[in-house]
Amino acid sequence: MIKILFFARLQEEIGKDSLNIEKAGLTVDQLKQWLEKEHGLQSLDQTMAAVNEDYADGSEVLKEGDTVALIPPVSGG
Amino acid sequence: MDTRYSRQELFSGIGKEGQKRLQEKHVLVLGAGALGSASAETLVRAGVGTLTIIDRDFVEWSNLHRQQLYTEADAEHNHPKAIAAKERLQSINKDTTVKAYVLDAKADNLKKLVQDADVVIDGSDNFDIRFIINDLSQKYRVPWIFGAFAGSFGMSYTFLPEKTPCLQCILSTIPSSSMSCETSGIIAPAVQMTSAHQTTEALKILTNQEESLRGTLLLFDVWNTQQQSIRTDKIKKTDCPSCGKERTYPYLVHEQDTKLEVLCGRNTVQIRPSEKKEYDFNTLASELKQHGNVRKNSYILICTLSDCRLAIFQDGRVLIHGTKEIDKAKHLYHRFIAKEKE
Ligand SMILES: [Zn+2]
Repeated sequence: MIKILFFARLQEEIGKDSLNIEKAGLTVDQLKQWLEKEHGLQSLDQTMAAVNEDYADGSEVLKEGDTVALIPPVSGG
Repeated sequence: MDTRYSRQELFSGIGKEGQKRLQEKHVLVLGAGALGSASAETLVRAGVGTLTIIDRDFVEWSNLHRQQLYTEADAEHNHPKAIAAKERLQSINKDTTVKAYVLDAKADNLKKLVQDADVVIDGSDNFDIRFIINDLSQKYRVPWIFGAFAGSFGMSYTFLPEKTPCLQCILSTIPSSSMSCETSGIIAPAVQMTSAHQTTEALKILTNQEESLRGTLLLFDVWNTQQQSIRTDKIKKTDCPSCGKERTYPYLVHEQDTKLEVLCGRNTVQIRPSEKKEYDFNTLASELKQHGNVRKNSYILICTLSDCRLAIFQDGRVLIHGTKEIDKAKHLYHRFIAKEKE
């Protein structure tokens, strides 16, 4: 199982702050595409990702038990 | 004996030595909105030697719930934020030298200000300016502390030239759309939390304790009580155009002097004349009175038309509130303000 944490606008779009899915083996980019498709999220191109609190690039492969944080940039100041 | 900073000096992380260092340092706060207000107040109270604060905007009623330096009178009279901030900050601590500029920050006018600072606190509200700060920070080796928020969510990172990755390493491009408080709202605790992390890091830098810096990209949601502290050790890019070996500082080189700019998420267009001009507010006021209600102070003149509002600054800048359309803004600008030249 993989745990996904949603921040900022993603929380509002998906209606919850986390989601558990059986998707070990996907890359971070593939996970983003899956979320866009299955959960109708707007583009995640510019959304940053961290796996187990390590900054992750799109090619990182997700393992069983990972926690993925998806972080869209916010700009308010 | 002077007891002003006694409780802060008692804190082992600061001490008498740290307090002395703070009093010798210079902070640049870029933006006097919510984050800028909160951070400036904390650092002035802490006793930093010099604080420079800049902002291009004026106080409005919709700012008051989160921008802690301002009062109803500031909103009532449309005081420029930089000026209102300075007044309040100076009344909080007369020992800090507070400098304030009503200024639309750009690479050229920020250059000197960044060079003079020991640390830059990000209180800006858009990524265009943050990429410019990032390049200036790298070029002049001045650390900067990023902060941003939306809703109940905030994030912060401390950029140390030559040590940490830079903004370009983390984001690679300016986000085309990002949540701002205009689009998703904001609660003040998210501001205070973001600012608290920024100023804590600033206190470490100002007291020469870089080894104590957090080192992670911090994000949090104060409403849902979530937090992530993300390690960034692997992401510094050797070929980064801003901090790499063959750096070109792209946001300093390619800066175009934008004349018309839609302010993101604000239903506002800013027009900046290519050459600086100074208005005679009295003449302008008597002309504009025929078209709508006019209010002014020595920095800004505001004219409310039927569906738009013109805010004209002493330096020539005009904000046209109530439209996102460049053509409409341009039309209003030429009709009411710059007509003699056309
Ligand atoms: Zn970089």
